[in-house]
Amino acid sequence: MAEPRESHRWKWLLCAPALTILVLAASGPLLIVLVYSFLTPGNMGGVVWQFSTDGWFRVFFRRDIFSPEDVSWNTAHLTIFWRSIWLSLQTTVICAVLGFPTAWFIATRPANTRTVWLFLITIPFWTNLLIRTFAIQELIRNSGTINTLLLWAGVIDAPIQMLFSEFAILIGMAYVFLPLMVLPLYAAMDKLDFRLVEAGYDLYASRLQVLRHVILPLVKPGFIAGSILVFIPSIGAYVTPRVLGGGRTMMLGNLIDLQFGQGRNWPLGAALAITLLVIVVAALLFYLRTLNREEGGRHG
Amino acid sequence: MKDTRNPPEIEIARLGKVFGTGAAAFRALSDIDLTIAQGEFFTLLGPSGCGKTTLLRVIAGFEQPSDGSLRINGQEVAGKGPNARPVNTVFQNYALFPHMSVAQNIGFGLKMLGRAKSEIDATVDEMLALVQMAHLADRKPAEISGGQQQRVALARALAPRPRVLLLDEPLSALDLKLRKGMQSELKRLQGETGITFVFVTHDQEEALTMSDRIAVMSDGRILQTGTPHEIYHAPRERFVADFIGDTNFLQVEVAEADGTAAQVTLPGGARHLARLPAGLRPGAGARVTVVIRPEQAQLVAPGQGVLAATVERSVFFGTDTHVHLVLDGGTPFVLRRQNSGALPEPAPGSTVGLTLAEGALQVVGD
Repeated sequence: MAEPRESHRWKWLLCAPALTILVLAASGPLLIVLVYSFLTPGNMGGVVWQFSTDGWFRVFFRRDIFSPEDVSWNTAHLTIFWRSIWLSLQTTVICAVLGFPTAWFIATRPANTRTVWLFLITIPFWTNLLIRTFAIQELIRNSGTINTLLLWAGVIDAPIQMLFSEFAILIGMAYVFLPLMVLPLYAAMDKLDFRLVEAGYDLYASRLQVLRHVILPLVKPGFIAGSILVFIPSIGAYVTPRVLGGGRTMMLGNLIDLQFGQGRNWPLGAALAITLLVIVVAALLFYLRTLNREEGGRHG
Repeated sequence: MKDTRNPPEIEIARLGKVFGTGAAAFRALSDIDLTIAQGEFFTLLGPSGCGKTTLLRVIAGFEQPSDGSLRINGQEVAGKGPNARPVNTVFQNYALFPHMSVAQNIGFGLKMLGRAKSEIDATVDEMLALVQMAHLADRKPAEISGGQQQRVALARALAPRPRVLLLDEPLSALDLKLRKGMQSELKRLQGETGITFVFVTHDQEEALTMSDRIAVMSDGRILQTGTPHEIYHAPRERFVADFIGDTNFLQVEVAEADGTAAQVTLPGGARHLARLPAGLRPGAGARVTVVIRPEQAQLVAPGQGVLAATVERSVFFGTDTHVHLVLDGGTPFVLRRQNSGALPEPAPGSTVGLTLAEGALQVVGD
């Protein structure tokens, strides 16, 4: 009887390195951020160890400078929240729409050339994100490649303002995160038994019906994984909105950076960071719950 | 034979299929001429790689023929996709949709044809009853056994009431007992539905027991088409004789021949009558190969019978015993005898004589 208990204790000991890393690298910093969000900002940045809910208050509300009793919604912050969520959703949809045919193309190539296509998909990862984002800026700025070409071809008279807009951020994020959608989709399609596609055609389904009733339901796990992989980094994106959105079109990541940097309000920054975390977790739970309900409905 | 009188269901003429182009081109089917009658249970039989599955896929529409014509119920279908042909397939691995229930799988074809929900439900219930799966209608394919998946695959292919049902080695994944059960089940379903079955298998016994007619294929060609009886007893070529059942081959000399039969001289000098396949007219003195089935020879005392042999060993199979012999002259010969009485097993090394049944000899082309 003593032996199983002994081995049980050893198991925990064996887990110790992993647990240590988990506590130090994940929970620890998160806890610090949570604590900071309830402290008072220092004059030169940093925090003063004095409890305050002012950081959290400022996430959602603001006081009038001249009459502090006058409290109103912090519409600037709320706009940034909404923009982050909305742009991330759009990015996810764009990546799904572009990623599906891309992954399908790769999955239907002969086995020996598939690795080459996959390799091509991963090439952008080899270059620094900042460099790639500046490359996009070069493409879409007013005197950039696209505008120059369009002007030269006589399609437009004046350059189109694309840079420093939500549109620019959207292009940048879709470009950067597309591989994160393609790879899990490819993994799902790679496992797809193409005889099921044949069975679909054999049972009188058209191409569209095979796509809808056979292929899409079977590669759904790839869509789920891809959507999560794209949505989460999108909502916290920092470099892309900074370079392509300019100073005015901020996303949550930029707002947090602002508070820790020029704003010198670490508690507000920390509170915003926790808010971001809550939004991501809430979005994930909502997404997964919707999927489960759909699944349950189909059973009945 | 009865079914050949029915009007034709599938007419294939000079059909060929080439995969790839240029140097990498591979000819999978050559000069296929075949007519399958309505309501027939037709089997494509051959070793793996002989083109039988390719021919099935061409009929289904998954592959388009490179040349020749393919008519189903009088209509040319070459060039049409599988969803435009009145043909359904039972796949080798069943290919059931894993995300749908048994009932949804069976109803899929009708749903795609745009039938009313009430009609789909009624047909699905009917099919579930036909394959005795009504109690598992709401299960997913992963939650039922291989034999049950097989029944669902059958029901799914039968539900849209196709003119032709194609079966691609559907029983190969089942164990022996289930396979025997499904064989009679398939025959029953075919009888009840009256649908033309085209069945692909490499199992010669399965082909012999189930088919109205069989086409034996090798290297992308059809070598012989006929009833199981014809294929077994009157093979035209050595390959067909070798592939179907156990066979002894013997080199003999033709003494005299007319249109359908020949007097041949066996090793040892005895004369025996041998049947000739259509189109083969060997002259007197020609060396030909004859086929003798193991059950058509009998052991007799040494010095008697038409052939002399030495016993090598006996192998007991329960219902019968296979006696391995070497004929005088060195040709190996296998003889099968039923273990009906208490026949003494011939001792290895002993010499014996052989008699051959009337009509045991069939001349084959090489």
